[in-house]
Amino acid sequence: MSAIIWKDLLSELRSRDTFMSLFVLGVLVLVIFQFTLNLSPAETRRLAPGMLWTAIVFSSSLAIGRTLVSEREAGCLGALVIAPIDRGSIFIAKLIVNLVLLSLFELTLLPVFALMTDVSIFAVLPRLAAVMLAGTIGLSAVGTLFALAAAGTRSRETMLPLIALPLEIPLLIAAVQATEAVLVGTKLSGLGAWGNLLFAFDALFLAVGWLAFEFVAVE
Amino acid sequence: MSRRFPVVMENWCMRLAPPAATLFIPAAILAIFFWVPTDAGLGLSQRIFYFHVPCAMASFASYALAGVTGIAYLRSSTSDWDHASNAAVGTGMLFGSLVLLTGSIWARTAWGTWWTWDARLTTFLVLWLVFASYSMLRALGRGNDMTPRYAAVLAIVGALNIPLVMVATKLWRTIHPQVIGNPKGGIEDPRMLATLGIGVVAILSLCVWFWALRSRLLRTEERLAVLEVARS
Repeated sequence: MSAIIWKDLLSELRSRDTFMSLFVLGVLVLVIFQFTLNLSPAETRRLAPGMLWTAIVFSSSLAIGRTLVSEREAGCLGALVIAPIDRGSIFIAKLIVNLVLLSLFELTLLPVFALMTDVSIFAVLPRLAAVMLAGTIGLSAVGTLFALAAAGTRSRETMLPLIALPLEIPLLIAAVQATEAVLVGTKLSGLGAWGNLLFAFDALFLAVGWLAFEFVAVE
Repeated sequence: MSRRFPVVMENWCMRLAPPAATLFIPAAILAIFFWVPTDAGLGLSQRIFYFHVPCAMASFASYALAGVTGIAYLRSSTSDWDHASNAAVGTGMLFGSLVLLTGSIWARTAWGTWWTWDARLTTFLVLWLVFASYSMLRALGRGNDMTPRYAAVLAIVGALNIPLVMVATKLWRTIHPQVIGNPKGGIEDPRMLATLGIGVVAILSLCVWFWALRSRLLRTEERLAVLEVARS
C-alpha cells in the first residue's frame, strides 16, 4: 500500500501536471466569480466560503481521475489488481494520493483566496484546516471511487464530474456552512450538525469505497 | 435466493400489474375529477396532489429497488439483477420527472413560483440528478463490460446518499406541505383519503408494469446480442 502511494506521489511530483492544472483552475474559478457576479467587497466576504468550495470542487472533479486513469492507460491496473493485496487497500492508497494532491492544492489556493476576498484566515487556520481536510476526504473518496467508472465511458473527462457532483452536494452544503462558521470564529466543537454531516459523509464514502472497490477494480 | 429470482418476480409483475393498472387508473381519474370534494383552502389546484404524491412514492420505491437490486447484482454477477436495477432507475426517472413537473405546476398556483430552494424540493432534485448521472453512465458506457458494475455501485451510493441529503437540506428550511402522517395535514375527509389510496394503487401498478416491461426488454436485448454474436 505504501509502495503505491509513494510511486504515485513521486510521479505526480515529478510531472506536476495534476497539481498545476488544479491550481490554475482553482484560481480561474475565483477570478471568474469576481467578474461574472461583479461583487462589492462586503458581498465578496459574505460569499467567500461558497466561492472557495466551488473552486475546490470543480478543479478537483476535473483533475482527480488522473491517478487511476494514468494507471489504466499504462496498462498497470491489471497488474495492480492481480497483485496479492486487498483491493480495498488499492482504494485507500489511491485515495491518500488524491488527498495529498488536493491538500497541497488547497494549501496554495488559500493565500490567493485570502488575498482576493480579503478574508483573514491566520487566526483560525488550524480550525479551517480541519474543516477543509474533512471536506477534502469526502471529495477524494467520491472521486477515487468513480474515477474508474468514468474512465470506462466514451466521454471520460466529462463523466466524472457528472457522477461526482450530485453525490457531493450534501458534503458541499456542510463544508460551506462549516467554513462560514469557522471563519467568523466558531470553535470546531460548536459546528454541531454541519460537523456531524461532514463526518458522516466521509465515513459513509470511505466504507462504501473500500467495500465496492472489490467489485469495480476488475480488469 | 434463486438465480432466476428477478425473472420470476418480473413474470408475476407482468401477470398482476396490467389488470390492476387497467382497473385503477380510470377509477383514479373518475375519483379525482368527479368524486372527491374540492379543498377548502387551495381550491381546484389541490387535485394535482392525488397524482403528485403517488408519483413521488413510485419514484422513491424505484430508486430504493435500484439500490437493492444493485447489491444483489454485485453479489451474484447475474445479469438479470442488473437489468432489474437498470429498469428500476428507468421508472424512477420517469415518475421522478413527473413529480418535479406536477410539483412545479402546483407551486406556481399555490406559492406563485415555479421553483424554490426548499428542503423537500432540493432533496428530490439532488436524488433525481444522481440517477440522471446513472442514466448518462449507462448511455456513455455502453459496450464496456464493466459498466453494469459501476452502475450498480452508483445506484447503491445514490440510494445511501439520500439520508445525508435529507439531513443537509432539512437543516435549511421547508415550506413544502406536510400532509402524510400529519393529523392536521388537511385531508381529513374520508373521500380524500380514498382518492389518494386509489391513486397510489393506480400509479404503483403502472410503475411495476413499466418496470417489468423494461426489465424484460433489457433481457431480450442481451439475448439478441448473444444470438447475433453466435450467428456471425
